[in-house]
Amino acid sequence: MTANLADPAVTPEELTRPSDGPPERSKARWRGPLTPKMFIVAGVAAAIGYLALVPLGYLVWGTFFDAEGLDLGSFERAYGDGRMGELWGNSLAFAGGSALLSITVGTTLAYLNVRTAVPFKALFFAASIVPLVIPGILYTVSWIFLASPEIGLLNAFFEPILGGAPFNIFTIWGMIWVEGLHSSPIVFLLMVAAFRSMDPSLEESALMSGATRLQALRKVTLPLVRPALLSSVLVILITSLESFEVPALLGLQNGIYVFTSRIYFVLRSYPQDLGAAGALAVSLLAVAVIGVAVSRLLAGKGSKTYQTVTGKGFRPRPMDLGKWKPVVGVGILFYFFVTVLGPLLVLLYAALLPYYQAPSWEALSSFTLDNFVQVVEMDSAARALRNSLILGLSAATIVMALMAVASWISIRSTIPGRGIVEQLSFVPLVIPGIVLGLSISFVYLRFPLPIYGTLLILLIAYCTKYMPYGMRYATTSMTQISSELEESAMVSGASWWTTFRRVLLPLLSPGITAGFIYILVVSFRELSSSILLYSPGNEVLSILIWEQFENGSFNVLAAIGVLMVVALMVMVTIAYKLGAKVGLRED
Amino acid sequence: MRKPRTLTSTALAAGAVMVLAACGGNPTSSSEGSNGDAASGPTGAEQLYEEVGELSGQERRDRLVELAAEEDGLNLYTSMNADMVDAVTEAFTEAFDIDVSTYRAGSETVLQRILQEQDAGFAGNDVVETNATELMALQQEDVMAQCASPERIAEVPEAGVYDDWVATRFNLFAPSWNVNIINDPPKVWEDLADPKYDGQLALELGDYDWYMALTNYWLEEGKSQEEVDQLWADIVDGAKVVKGHTVMAELMSAGQYGLASSNYTYIVEAAMADGAPLETQPYINPIIARPNGGSCMKTAQNPATAMLFMDWLLEEGQAVLADQAATPSTVQIESELIPVDGQLLLDEGSEWSQRYDDLLSGVETIGG
Amino acid sequence: MLRIHNLIKSFAGEKSRGKKKDEAGHSAVFAVNDVSFEVKEGELFTLLGPSGCGKTTTLRSIAGLEKPDSGTIAVGDRVMFSSTGSGRSVNLPANQRGLGMVFQSYAIWPHMTVFDNVAFPLQVRPRGQRPAKKEISERVERVLATMQLSEQSGRQATKLSGGQQQRLALARALVIEPPLLLLDEPLSNLDAKLRESLRYELKRLQRELGITSVYVTHDQVEALALSTQIAVMERGAVVQLGKPREVYEQPANKFVAEFIGTSNFIPGTVASQQAGRHCVETSNGTLFLESAHHMPVGSEVVVSIRPEAVELSTVSRGEQAANEWTGEVVARAFLGDAVDHVVSVGQHEVRARVNPSVSIESGTPVYLQLDPSKISLVPVN
Repeated sequence: MTANLADPAVTPEELTRPSDGPPERSKARWRGPLTPKMFIVAGVAAAIGYLALVPLGYLVWGTFFDAEGLDLGSFERAYGDGRMGELWGNSLAFAGGSALLSITVGTTLAYLNVRTAVPFKALFFAASIVPLVIPGILYTVSWIFLASPEIGLLNAFFEPILGGAPFNIFTIWGMIWVEGLHSSPIVFLLMVAAFRSMDPSLEESALMSGATRLQALRKVTLPLVRPALLSSVLVILITSLESFEVPALLGLQNGIYVFTSRIYFVLRSYPQDLGAAGALAVSLLAVAVIGVAVSRLLAGKGSKTYQTVTGKGFRPRPMDLGKWKPVVGVGILFYFFVTVLGPLLVLLYAALLPYYQAPSWEALSSFTLDNFVQVVEMDSAARALRNSLILGLSAATIVMALMAVASWISIRSTIPGRGIVEQLSFVPLVIPGIVLGLSISFVYLRFPLPIYGTLLILLIAYCTKYMPYGMRYATTSMTQISSELEESAMVSGASWWTTFRRVLLPLLSPGITAGFIYILVVSFRELSSSILLYSPGNEVLSILIWEQFENGSFNVLAAIGVLMVVALMVMVTIAYKLGAKVGLRED
Repeated sequence: MRKPRTLTSTALAAGAVMVLAACGGNPTSSSEGSNGDAASGPTGAEQLYEEVGELSGQERRDRLVELAAEEDGLNLYTSMNADMVDAVTEAFTEAFDIDVSTYRAGSETVLQRILQEQDAGFAGNDVVETNATELMALQQEDVMAQCASPERIAEVPEAGVYDDWVATRFNLFAPSWNVNIINDPPKVWEDLADPKYDGQLALELGDYDWYMALTNYWLEEGKSQEEVDQLWADIVDGAKVVKGHTVMAELMSAGQYGLASSNYTYIVEAAMADGAPLETQPYINPIIARPNGGSCMKTAQNPATAMLFMDWLLEEGQAVLADQAATPSTVQIESELIPVDGQLLLDEGSEWSQRYDDLLSGVETIGG
Repeated sequence: MLRIHNLIKSFAGEKSRGKKKDEAGHSAVFAVNDVSFEVKEGELFTLLGPSGCGKTTTLRSIAGLEKPDSGTIAVGDRVMFSSTGSGRSVNLPANQRGLGMVFQSYAIWPHMTVFDNVAFPLQVRPRGQRPAKKEISERVERVLATMQLSEQSGRQATKLSGGQQQRLALARALVIEPPLLLLDEPLSNLDAKLRESLRYELKRLQRELGITSVYVTHDQVEALALSTQIAVMERGAVVQLGKPREVYEQPANKFVAEFIGTSNFIPGTVASQQAGRHCVETSNGTLFLESAHHMPVGSEVVVSIRPEAVELSTVSRGEQAANEWTGEVVARAFLGDAVDHVVSVGQHEVRARVNPSVSIESGTPVYLQLDPSKISLVPVN
């Protein structure tokens, strides 16, 4: 009862009611339509609907209507490009390839991290997230420095041995490589959560049945984490379809154009052709809606089937890798060197130079800390860092709190129309950042409360933008939790809210933590809507980065990048530790 | 059975938002904009511009300083880069003890922000300082008022003076090169088509304004359309495409290619100041110059400060801009300047953008 | 059949956790500390102890899911694990040991049907040893029939009831006809009634199939009912090994006595001893008893008196009657098949479980008669 004092869902009458009093009447009221459950569920659904429909409505309105009325010309402008077939072909190859790569890498790393006694575990977890922390443009450019046929360090290293430049980053393969690696942490975090909530004895019993590790993985483990896999595929496919940094920096050199380059062009000109941008976004929306429906269908095919968190106690014991330990160890070190240390070292190297030059004694002798000094001395740096921290932490908290309830609505409840919640939460994924910014400023410029021009408007933008990711993380965990656990808590007399808070939330914590970390980290990079919505004094870190980029101070930018990686690593570690503490178990 | 219902309800919900949005007018058809305000008579700011506009010289300056003292600082929206804007605002604050709060973003974003705010009747800024294209758009929206002193405007070349705004500086498009790779840089623009630069030349993805200006310059010079097309085909042949002027300079320093067709000179000069082996001089002849300018807003909350700022930027501020490797609009340059026509950009911009895009995507795959 | 020799397993990475658990101050970083035992053909051998005593780690080491630091594990003539610290070591991976195992959570694969779950161990055999499809289905059907699951064959595994799931887990473990069956608390997830019926079911099956089994549980009733041999474990070590009756009646120490069933503990001093017949002086009076532990005269001991070893009577057997104490009933509880009384004797409270025909009201003075063959001596450490 004392715990209930902190429970906002307990009404005053509930508290004052003598515990031995006749429960009949109040119970009836409890079940009535005005329960806290109702309020929370309706509130969350309304919040999601609001966040999603503002930009969607703005986009749809701009796409289908002009000042005179219904107008479908925007579709012609958007798709009336003779090369549309080629653009889509490139985009799909790029998105598909990246998805395949990031799923493979992310899932493998997650499995090794959670389920096996892999060596260098701490290093390993950090390494798996680093690509997420490095801003896309820096990560891509560092790969140019590594694997360009002309100036790539890796090529310079291998050329004498192999007699030719073995790597060319300016190809579709290079694009897939960079995008795939850069988005693998999304998969990693999703899959870590999924594996963490899986009873390892399901796998051990396969081993005991005589299955090899590979058979156990293929026939038991992977089918069981299918909802998480589907989620990852969906998210990665859409984000890579939308990604423009990598195709622009790597593809254009060789004329590899993708679908999003159209969005880039239509949004660049004045008057901004929102209609055409919207028409393009509509196809992404279609992909997303179909994707969500398909994944619901596949995951729902016996939704009970996948409830792998069952209340039947289990201790996650890392599997001994046996003779594979050295092999896996070397593999991880290799991965770490190639995808994390390589780009990071290039960044660090660039950050120490006044301008980029190929490594030589001359270059080494011009090493300087000026770039770092410049960052530290920047007036706005501390303020921007503070703002970014506030925004990142609040956005991550709000989104994950909302999505925890939303995932319950979508997966557990029997509320009619619950499917819409999931569909809606996905909408922001397909809305270009600038359109999101425009729609939000459109609304809040006309809003009676002073939200425009404050940090709050950025917070709303971030919450909208990261809602889809939060939802993926939350639903993936929710599908795994047996409904019996919830039912048993309800039967024990706990109110819905208490059940949610005391039973479901802790069980969801692997997914919630992963989502929290993801949002916290990526919100540091968000630029496209921040730049429109910030106001003097409310700068965030990504604006600072953008300014350095505009100034042409690439090396200062690299210094900021290095500092960001360090700072975020610390934060991720803390968040992860806290998450583990809140969660059921540590490892 | 459930799926269609879900879709229907989503559509219904979307419809509800559209109806709501309709009350505020179509969000994307911003061209009607703030005409309502304009029709209802001159704003307070406009009256002040008119009143002070009759003064000149020291009298004007004194009056503005006096009026500005009663106002509340300055709100500036600009697409100047951070170093430049910091130098400018610092110097202005030092001169008049007036605080400047600055919103800084890309020129398209600055435009979008002002349009959104004006549309909603929100007076966010007093002064705008950005690229010609966006200023032309704002001029079309009729939200700015020419407020700088006529004496100063007279110093600006004709290509930089427009109805509602005036150029404060020029962004110069000129080839730049890595001195370790290129030892015979191009002297005229036609040189870019020279096959000797194949594999060494890089073009920037978004420089359609440069493309437009150069094409028109060649046509005016008397070249036929076929000749110009051929020149472009030869330039693009064997060229690489880069996105972003900063990346363009950075990759050139690193040796990814030797020659950049059209970088901003200030970016190259900043890299050179850090010791990068780049060069942009002797300038090619003629230089393509894109005017950047500024103006006061009709809705300015601090109109006297806005006026003072514009006067100052075209007078003392010009030296500050020059210090930042910018090309001030009131200073004579030795090379011939071919301005990018702001009006033309506004009218034909998207066509030129499309044409440039088509030109670049015809780029043949070059061997690695 | 199964031989375990000097098995040691420490928690390398979890030292802090091990220490935290052990509040007594013992540096219990060893999950399993020098455990040796042997299981004979056809036996049901139980590892019994509270959670964290190392029983599950021992079982998982036999299964191959955990790698011990040193020791030997052999099933029949096959050495599964051997590491003596000198020279070559053997560690067969779990999937090559060919043992059957039933997990606490059953680990029924939720994405497969009942049939598929049972067929899995046969289907994943290497190509050369894999039975033909037809044989697989015959063997699966046969096992399912034994487990009375034939009718559920095509159903989704998660649709089964708790008892059926348990039988399914057993069927899956038995389908390969393993030489050794490992059971990790297989009944702990079931409700009390089902647990009892399945306990006998399990015993019947084990006897009928004659399958050698190692059974892990923390439930002493289960252990006593099922086992041929019991090893009681505490802090990673086996503290007593014996038949159920021996362990119950002659606990090796206070821990075992306390853990197995309820018991009354009365401290005392040995007054005389001859060939196992002890006379112990307690504050309530003298006790005569027989014990396998021969304690020297004058040593401090604890006498363990099982509640059912106490007879209550309102009438004394007379002056010469041995092992008779006097007390007063403090409380009683009717249990159906027995009546529990709490009797205060001197400064002690003694529990007595007697036939339901005897029921004595609180406050009544009574005589406690203690059967010398049913009370035991427990050495004090």
